[in-house]
Amino acid sequence: MISFSQVTKRYPGGHEALTGANLLIEKGELVFLTGHSGAGKSTLLKLIAAIERPTSGVVSVNGQNISRLPQRAVPYLRRNIGLVFQDHKLLFDRNVIENVVLPLDIAGFDRRESLKRARAVIDKVGLLNREKSNPVSLSGGEQQRLCIARALVSRPALLLADEPTGNLDAGYAADIMAMFRDFHQVGTTLVIATHDDRAITALGGRTLHLDHGKIEEVAA
Amino acid sequence: MIGWLRHQKHALTSSLRRLAAQPVVTLLTALAMGVAISLPCALYLMLGNLNRLAGELPAQPEISLFLAADVTPAQKHLIAARLKQLDIAAARHIPKEQALTELSASQGLADITAGLTENPLPDAWVVRPQAGTPEALKRVAAELGKLPGVAETHLDSLWIERLQAALAIGRTGVWLLGGLFAVALMAISSNAIRARVLSRRDEIHVSRLIGATHRYIRRPFLYLGALQGLLGGLAAGGVLALAGTLLRAPVAHLSSLYGTSFQLLPPNPTEITVVLALATLTGWAGAWIAVARTLHQTSAIR
Repeated sequence: MISFSQVTKRYPGGHEALTGANLLIEKGELVFLTGHSGAGKSTLLKLIAAIERPTSGVVSVNGQNISRLPQRAVPYLRRNIGLVFQDHKLLFDRNVIENVVLPLDIAGFDRRESLKRARAVIDKVGLLNREKSNPVSLSGGEQQRLCIARALVSRPALLLADEPTGNLDAGYAADIMAMFRDFHQVGTTLVIATHDDRAITALGGRTLHLDHGKIEEVAA
Repeated sequence: MIGWLRHQKHALTSSLRRLAAQPVVTLLTALAMGVAISLPCALYLMLGNLNRLAGELPAQPEISLFLAADVTPAQKHLIAARLKQLDIAAARHIPKEQALTELSASQGLADITAGLTENPLPDAWVVRPQAGTPEALKRVAAELGKLPGVAETHLDSLWIERLQAALAIGRTGVWLLGGLFAVALMAISSNAIRARVLSRRDEIHVSRLIGATHRYIRRPFLYLGALQGLLGGLAAGGVLALAGTLLRAPVAHLSSLYGTSFQLLPPNPTEITVVLALATLTGWAGAWIAVARTLHQTSAIR
């Protein structure tokens, strides 16, 4: 599903976030990315979602070469990828359900069908009673769950999460990791950048360690 | 196709909601645009009315023939015969006695004319030629002027021609002014939309991350620009209607002093439609410029 071949990403200014990285992630896998901050975890996720382009090497997602993907094709690639951000990136000018419905609006779904699907996914993350609230009034854990609901509403085959439990206390973090396990069990491919070791041991799965732009496989 | 229609409807309703959410901003922008639109439109309407005023005056230009004081009856006879030819539509003879009576009666000059020992006025013909073009008129006038016994010819169309020429300059002015104000309008719209784009930066950023195309992001702003332009056009209509109402009484007073019943004519439905359509289009174009610039900048940042 995802393959990196000799991928280097150098940012303007000379900082090299990834150096000659090779990687293969199969469909349905659950993969953790670990490493201290600045090790290149976020860059790796951004390369998969075509938010960044590699300086050299080939990134391929679903058989599409990201480096050669024309700008106008990028939106359609992203519609198949659910993104979970550490800072949630919620919109505070609309309520919970409107936030979740946004990806379906963008994809041009029927409004009534969209709302039905949004409500189902909000229920799944346990926010159904907050449907009409503004995200501002939600706790950090609830905001993260809302972000996950938005990432999942278009039923993507691939979910990328960047430090999804980074700002949360242990209880919330465990909730969210349990949610990810459920998605993994229904066949979603998950790539999660985290330094929450408890979560990794709880869920199992493959772990890749990043260090100074190099990827190492960690034996389970 | 259905998805496309759905996107259009969504963009339209969300734009309307956004215009309504900031009524003061919307109103002020519409007023600024309205004033900008109303200036060339006012000039256009003024010219139209002047043109009509010119049209109410004798449309067919006339040539006045003044006969020499020592004209002989035979020459008079020849002139009368010449004026019966085909290139003359109508000819009216004004003997000098009649001219003098009319002069003393109509212009309150009785005191002066009464003191005259003899009639200083010449016999005259007022001739209306068939031909309408200025060149043909001049030719006929020149030919009549060469007839024996004719002292002078006077082409009455000259001042109308001058007025028409002035109006033509005015019309060019309308187009120039219209073009300039269209640019100004685009700038106003572009700025207004740019402010709204910037205030929704986060939404644009997030939308792009979750798969929004440029077109999807642009669409509501284009609707917003077009609606803002349309509102500007309507505001211009309001400004002009107000001006028309204020001008009605003074114009009626002036025209009564001239003994006519001239009234200002409002624009016709076609003209109104064209102005509203152009205002909408310039608003849309301004929005396009604003969004394209901002999208370009944010895509550089990502």
